[in-house]
Amino acid sequence: MIGNQVALIRRELWEHRAIYVTPLVIALIVSIMAITGQAVVSAFDQAVDLAILGASNLGPAERAAAITVLMTGVSSLLIMAMWVLTIFYALDALYAERKDRSILFWRSLPCTDAETVISKLITAAVVIPLVTFAVIVITHLVVLALASVWLGFQGANAWHLVWRPAPLANNWTATLIMLLALPLWLSPFIGWFLFVSAFTRRSPLLVAFLPIVILPMLEKSLIGTSLFVDAFFIRTASLPLFRGMSTGDIFSYKGDEWSLNGEVPSGLLSLMDLSRFFGSPSLWLGLVVCALFVTAAIYVRRYRDDS
Amino acid sequence: MTSLVSARNVSKSFGSVRAVDDVSFDIEKGKIMGLIGPNGAGKTTLLKAVLGLTDCEGTLSVLGLDPFRQRKELMQNICFIADVAVLPRWMRVNQLLDFVESVHPRFSRPRAEELLARTKIQSKSKIRELSKGMVTQLHLSIITAVDAKLLVLDEPTIGLDIIFRKEFYGNLLNDYFDKDRTILITTHQVEEIENLLTDVMFINDGRIVLHASMDALPERYVELMTSGENAERARRLNPIFERDVFGKKVLTFEGIAREQLRGLGELRTPGIADLFVAKVKGATA
Repeated sequence: MIGNQVALIRRELWEHRAIYVTPLVIALIVSIMAITGQAVVSAFDQAVDLAILGASNLGPAERAAAITVLMTGVSSLLIMAMWVLTIFYALDALYAERKDRSILFWRSLPCTDAETVISKLITAAVVIPLVTFAVIVITHLVVLALASVWLGFQGANAWHLVWRPAPLANNWTATLIMLLALPLWLSPFIGWFLFVSAFTRRSPLLVAFLPIVILPMLEKSLIGTSLFVDAFFIRTASLPLFRGMSTGDIFSYKGDEWSLNGEVPSGLLSLMDLSRFFGSPSLWLGLVVCALFVTAAIYVRRYRDDS
Repeated sequence: MTSLVSARNVSKSFGSVRAVDDVSFDIEKGKIMGLIGPNGAGKTTLLKAVLGLTDCEGTLSVLGLDPFRQRKELMQNICFIADVAVLPRWMRVNQLLDFVESVHPRFSRPRAEELLARTKIQSKSKIRELSKGMVTQLHLSIITAVDAKLLVLDEPTIGLDIIFRKEFYGNLLNDYFDKDRTILITTHQVEEIENLLTDVMFINDGRIVLHASMDALPERYVELMTSGENAERARRLNPIFERDVFGKKVLTFEGIAREQLRGLGELRTPGIADLFVAKVKGATA
């Protein structure tokens, strides 16, 4: 069972090279942006207040917070790319094998339909986030290294300004938790996409998204309620992983300039609240919905005979 | 237990169409069974039921297993080529070998590599870069390297040129087949496999119209080529089918001793293709 899972997941990585190519391309773009950004900042050296990394009037806590903002910016880009990737992966996972008829070959091997579908679920919900995490860590290191080089040219001490205050372990742990929690929270969508991928005869993207557009309209015109839209937006807009927080906690506006609060938590980890996440009934309800869709996908693969 | 596949009253319907209609048969170990039938006769449905790819009514046992409910166990002892060129096109040959090796307990990688070394297939090649014939060679090499008890082939050579087809069946007999292995095969190119079959089964409209060993055919069936008065006399012996060849009449008989026909014309054992036409068309005429 475990041996088969490893082989099946490795197969997914062979087939869907976008799983690691996409984040690597984003990472490359971010790194190039970091270089050009520094070049631009250097050009306006005199006029620009180097509030983030170059300024020497910040204390370690503000500096840590500033680096956290930079790291979060990089992570956010890669996490957004991860979602696009996950959607396309899940929609393709059980569709491509039927389109090219290779399903007949896969099913001639001693792997059950459940094992195969579960390997695709694990790829979408665990493997893609872990690959993204690895790329995020690499990108953080590259961007901070580039910043260090730039600081070196400015005659500043990069170790003192960047590496020592940077809450790397703290932010990376938080990012990893975030990356693993997000697919759990959005699991009903992953389940739905896999199910669409298993049953549709054509254009999985359209079939997956059409109901999301049409159902709310039907609900509104027939029953007059908007439960579906509400559920949809609560699910996509609010991940119950963080404590309540406002920008006022981080920044304060004194006189006519913004400054960072000294008491702000320096890393992301302290902003997270895992008990709130795992205590949320919505999370568990979502996982049940996901399990139902995945079970349906297994049944479709097992019982449908369309070759 | 010598019966590898045992079917009792097996049926499968799609809506109101009975694709397989109350079929019973056994396939014994060490046989090469040809399943012959026109398009839509239920061949593929029957094979899918045997392979556990589709559910069916009745009792079907393959290697003592229920194929649909114990598919994973079954697939450790069965190999099949469902159609040509269904290997995943994005995969590389060595990835394919890696994958089969890691999921199939009875796969011998050295054996597969030995077989592939005889072909022009490179281990780094992607399957989409191979010709249709090479993909079939690759598939057969993998299957030959699996120590399976039953091999099921559904139109394994369709769309291949004559050289690949000959080579395919040559390799099948030389590398794969031995007394412990059993093959179940369907194909439209009946003449090509006629000589390698040990048993034959005709299926038409979901029903089995003939199930016999190849050795028994000459005793049961005889073809008479004749004309004129002799043809009239022969017709009184109730041939199952009659056709015209070059102005002569060819009559097919079932269960008529050759002695009774001697002197009426040329006698020979019908080929599988002719016999099939006789059984299927004769039944509807």
